[in-house]
Amino acid sequence: MAGTAPPPQGRPIGDSQVEGGAPGVVASTTRTTAVRASLIAGAASVLLVVAIVLGSRLLRDFDSALVPYAVATVFLTFGVVYRYVVWVSAPAARRMFVQGWKAALSWENLKRSPAALPKMIATYLGFQKFLGARSHARWAAHQLIFWGCLLAAAITFPLTWGWFTFTSASAAGPGYEMRLWGLRLFGFDSGSFLGWALYHGLDLAAVMVIGGAGYFLWRRMRDRAATTGQRFGYDFLPLLALITISVTGLLLTFSEMFLHGGGYEFLAILHMASVVLTLVYLPFGKFFHIVQRPAAVGMQLFKYTARRKGSDDQELQACKRCGQPIDTVAAVDNLRATMRDLKLGFDEWAEYCPRCKRVLRGTAYLSNVKRGFK
Amino acid sequence: MLGRTIFIDPGRCIGCQACVSACRECDSHRGKSMIHLDYPDEGHTVASLPTVCMHCEDPVAPCAEVCPAEAILITADGVVQEADPTRCIGCANCVNACPFGVPKIDLEAKLQMKCNLCYDRTSYGLAPMCATVCPTGALFYGTVEELQAERPGVDVSTMFAFGDTVVSTGVAMVVPGERRTPVPGGMLNLIEVNGRPTPGNGARA
Amino acid sequence: MSHEHVPLDPSVAPLGTRNFRDAGGLPAAAWRADQTEQTLVPTHCCFCGVQCGMYLRVNAQGKVFGVEPRNHDINRMRLCPKGINAYQQVNHPDRLTAPLMRRSRDEPFREVGWEEALDFTVAEINRIQAESGRDAFGMLGGASLFSEKTYLVGKFARVALKTRHVDYNGRLCMVSAAGANKLAFGIDRAGNPFSDILQTQCLLIAGSNVGECFPVMTQYVWGARDRGATLIVVDPRETAVARTADIHVALKSGTDSAFFNAVLHVIVEEGLTDEVFLAEHTTGWAEVKAAVKAYPPSRAAEICGVPAEQIVQVARVFGTADRAMAWHARGIEHHTQGVENCLTVINLCTATGNLGRPGAGYGTITGQGNGQGGREHGQKSDLLPGGRSINDPVHRRQVAAIWGIEESELPQAGTSMMEMVWQMQRGEIRGLIGVCNNPFVSLPNYAVVKDGYDKLEFHAQFDFFLSETAANAHVVFPVTTWAEDEGVMANAEARVVKHNKAQEPPEGVRTDTWVMCEIARRLGQGSKFAFEGSKDVFDELRRASAGTVIDYYGITYERLEETGGIAWPCPSLDHPGTPRLFEGGRTSHPDGKVHMQVVEWHPPADPYSDEYPMTLTTGRTVAHFLSGNQTRRLGGLVEQTPRPWVEVHPSHGFRNGEPVRVVTRRGSEVLPALVTEAIRPDHVFVPYHWPYPVAANVLTVDALDPRSKIPEYKVCAVRIERAEAIDPVPAPPVPPGREAYPEAQVSRTDPLPPTSPQGRGTAERG
Repeated sequence: MAGTAPPPQGRPIGDSQVEGGAPGVVASTTRTTAVRASLIAGAASVLLVVAIVLGSRLLRDFDSALVPYAVATVFLTFGVVYRYVVWVSAPAARRMFVQGWKAALSWENLKRSPAALPKMIATYLGFQKFLGARSHARWAAHQLIFWGCLLAAAITFPLTWGWFTFTSASAAGPGYEMRLWGLRLFGFDSGSFLGWALYHGLDLAAVMVIGGAGYFLWRRMRDRAATTGQRFGYDFLPLLALITISVTGLLLTFSEMFLHGGGYEFLAILHMASVVLTLVYLPFGKFFHIVQRPAAVGMQLFKYTARRKGSDDQELQACKRCGQPIDTVAAVDNLRATMRDLKLGFDEWAEYCPRCKRVLRGTAYLSNVKRGFK
Repeated sequence: MLGRTIFIDPGRCIGCQACVSACRECDSHRGKSMIHLDYPDEGHTVASLPTVCMHCEDPVAPCAEVCPAEAILITADGVVQEADPTRCIGCANCVNACPFGVPKIDLEAKLQMKCNLCYDRTSYGLAPMCATVCPTGALFYGTVEELQAERPGVDVSTMFAFGDTVVSTGVAMVVPGERRTPVPGGMLNLIEVNGRPTPGNGARA
Repeated sequence: MSHEHVPLDPSVAPLGTRNFRDAGGLPAAAWRADQTEQTLVPTHCCFCGVQCGMYLRVNAQGKVFGVEPRNHDINRMRLCPKGINAYQQVNHPDRLTAPLMRRSRDEPFREVGWEEALDFTVAEINRIQAESGRDAFGMLGGASLFSEKTYLVGKFARVALKTRHVDYNGRLCMVSAAGANKLAFGIDRAGNPFSDILQTQCLLIAGSNVGECFPVMTQYVWGARDRGATLIVVDPRETAVARTADIHVALKSGTDSAFFNAVLHVIVEEGLTDEVFLAEHTTGWAEVKAAVKAYPPSRAAEICGVPAEQIVQVARVFGTADRAMAWHARGIEHHTQGVENCLTVINLCTATGNLGRPGAGYGTITGQGNGQGGREHGQKSDLLPGGRSINDPVHRRQVAAIWGIEESELPQAGTSMMEMVWQMQRGEIRGLIGVCNNPFVSLPNYAVVKDGYDKLEFHAQFDFFLSETAANAHVVFPVTTWAEDEGVMANAEARVVKHNKAQEPPEGVRTDTWVMCEIARRLGQGSKFAFEGSKDVFDELRRASAGTVIDYYGITYERLEETGGIAWPCPSLDHPGTPRLFEGGRTSHPDGKVHMQVVEWHPPADPYSDEYPMTLTTGRTVAHFLSGNQTRRLGGLVEQTPRPWVEVHPSHGFRNGEPVRVVTRRGSEVLPALVTEAIRPDHVFVPYHWPYPVAANVLTVDALDPRSKIPEYKVCAVRIERAEAIDPVPAPPVPPGREAYPEAQVSRTDPLPPTSPQGRGTAERG
């Protein structure tokens, strides 16, 4: 616990914070995990390249103007998979990962409560109900960003990979056909609502993202709850990146529609640069929570299935001192195993509720250290 | 070595819960108190024990180690932060791993919360709210030297024994001057306190 | 097997780690962002007599929204839970914002305009006084008012109402200590500042639960111990300070004077008196010495129920210390021999020469915020501003001149608060204005109090929340909280401190000063009440106190703001104030000596019998203040201590939380048992902050100390028995059509006693 608080300007930023986990844990992830992670990440990247080549009908549908984007997605894949493997190799994440997938893939489970998993995915990943419990405004802003980004990704990724193509139905008509992997999905009229929506889908996404990210940015500057310990790299950069991408994207449309393409070249490069940098940065900063968040579903499903097995009496771990429930037996066992993996020598304390731990410590202090003032 | 940190002396605590109310006033978690105040000698005496996060140093932050989502960060100066809300999945591993019984969890919000040594205040050069208002100095914020200048003859301990394991912490507890052994974190096979049987040990209280 | 018991969400977590409740007036979800602009207004706490400094945080809209510790030298940033939550009263949803009125108690209140309420009030005053004489209308003030307002209560009663019947709730607080101080020293205040405690070698605390009632004062107690002082606590309960004290004398309630006489007996026997001091600075020592001869430790041990050796031990420790100090509070004052109890402590300090030196002295700890200031300037039935006596012709002439009236117009001395209630019962007082008090909770023997107030033909009450008493009135005037006006209070050290205005009052709310002046104007006395605000009143108060024992003349708002507080007497603008009295052994009596008084112990008023064999004692808990009209509305405090309980020793066979019927000759109620070894087996304790049907004062006896008229709250005869169901705690009253702020009341219906007298542990909440 070094010295006083950092001075007002010198709040900890990015790299001054140590990631969670003991040094030992971090260190041990080095060689073997790194090698394994690199191999898996490499394989995933290769897979993506192959998929791009095949999906774009051997690059026939591939738009060479979008190459930087496509390359960025390959890097993104490598980064995400590498980070993911490193992450789930740490003891706590590994055990939770295994338990989560066990619960998700259990046939038994599926038979008993087929709706549980889809419901959880919808509440935790789609509608993010838990954010509403934190704050309604933040929930709304996050939903805007979430659906905006999802929409943008759904449109742009296949486009840059050459998976989606739009072809004219006739030489000079308003009729268009949308094709996936060269196969015709449907045709539409460019003047129709669908046509408008498809054309402006990204603009819509950009507006949503700007709204959400703008709120968060404002909050980051005003709300003391948010400003506490915030870091530029971790907290501001992602918001600035999202806003830059969205604004430059909108400006592209603006340039095309109202400026007859004025400044389009420059804007296109700016937009591309911001997208590429964001994608490459994604695995390392705040955006990694997109990849991590599904673990919440795994965790919840794990606890849910454990509790469903029997009565609460059997399936809930009672505090050994006061008898109040602590968590599911499976969760406590899983935690104790994690603690043993980590060589934390006090895993049997997990069988006591936090209050009893404190009371035990308090009584021990009274009897062993000092009873009163002296 | 200890820098500026919180020192806890349950012997001075009068159990008034000013710390609990004060914690609610912190801007970063307004309305929610992160402090625990227990009356461990219930039915016998009015003794009380305030608990703030001890900011474990060795092993460094067990709560962070058992976190499957890498949500608990530790600052360079050793402050174990509360869970990063973007990452925390609300699994409660930290709640039950912490040997001191510190973290709390908002199940609805899927979010762990705990004392972060008042980062919102210390970053403005203010002392943590709890230790600022504590009427008795049971929670004291400062350096060991400042503590000893006010209270001659006291010493502090950052070593806590949980069974055979010793945990060393960034927040210290006050002990009598001559004491050299770690402070007991509690005795699971405790039969008696002050000559009286204690409930528990498997039996329900 | 059905598994429907498992919800998808939420999962389970241990008690005390989950269920955040946004306690208090500001739900966390509603408190958002944009607090980058704030002003910190320096002021003091509105609650107890320690008068801790604090900053109120005011937002850009000019509303109080929080508190920040203030490094004032009284408290050095410390605050207790009440002080921290105090700010939530200011913009609380339960605030009264329009006058409430009804012509008879059978009708419900309706909100009316100020004109209508004032007109009705004035008409009723005129009617009652015309029919039954001026003295048929009474006035009761309070000691949580600023000193300016307490001065105004006295002046208003005597000049505008022209009644002799004015008194205040300090009568329930510490008038016995005041009486003892006046008798012994000729001045009514603590002898030493708190900071002197740090220099003492032996600190004796008698009948004060410092840790709960004056939490911030504990730092001085601990500070003295850090520097090697021995701590002696005299209290039937093992309170937080008693728990770790070097000597805890757990005597029977109501036996204090026997104990202190015995201690003095041992001191005399062992030659530990300071004969030089006694010879030079006292009168009456020979008589006192002779009297205490009749109290050998063996006799006192029997009366007090403590070991004789402990009495000898206390005497030796206190008597051999170079610098010893004694502080006491309600524990020894709330007795039918309250004045005498205090005198025995004064005798002890005097006989050992412990007066008027750093680390050596004597003090009483005032309970209310302005418990000291509130009794100085004339709202007490027998006192005029500056502590002058209303029976002294010279004093009467002086004050009449200041007020611009004839001496003959100035009413004579009235009666004490409890006596006024008896007079209401008898129909001698038929109309009443109450300001800043809640006798339905705070006066003893609730049945009598209710009856007395019910007999009033007209009753107006000033308050900012609808108190239980106000809810029984005809007219309720919504007035300001302490944060919406400025003024001074004098703390337990007699240090005058300045409270500053942090925000404008809500729409519809007026200051007490405005209301009193307005009624006075309508009674035809406007010229004598032409006060714009507190500052005008304070200037008159200063002049009115000039030259008296309680001299405020040298204290101005500007000086208070510069210094952070000045202890009176302060006779001139360049006088530094008088933090320590009795330096060089000089008192305020004309002869400059301590007038020692003989005290004989007598048993409490309510006799023990086979039917009522045990002792009931009452008191406070840390999360609540006085009648609870303020603190029972603040979520954090309700959550800490939601309800009253009865504290019983395990030897009676009750289990924790079991319903116990507590029965006295005056009433009974069922409370959950808090079973603890921290109380004498022959005593039970009930905290008094809650109203009927769970009011401790349903049980207490309305017996008064003959000299000070303080009621005997601290001891009455009682029995306890098993019961079926616990009496529920009523919600705090609110005007018709409204509901007491539900978020703050969540815990109120919890049937369990707290974990410990200080409240529920944080893990024991829902």
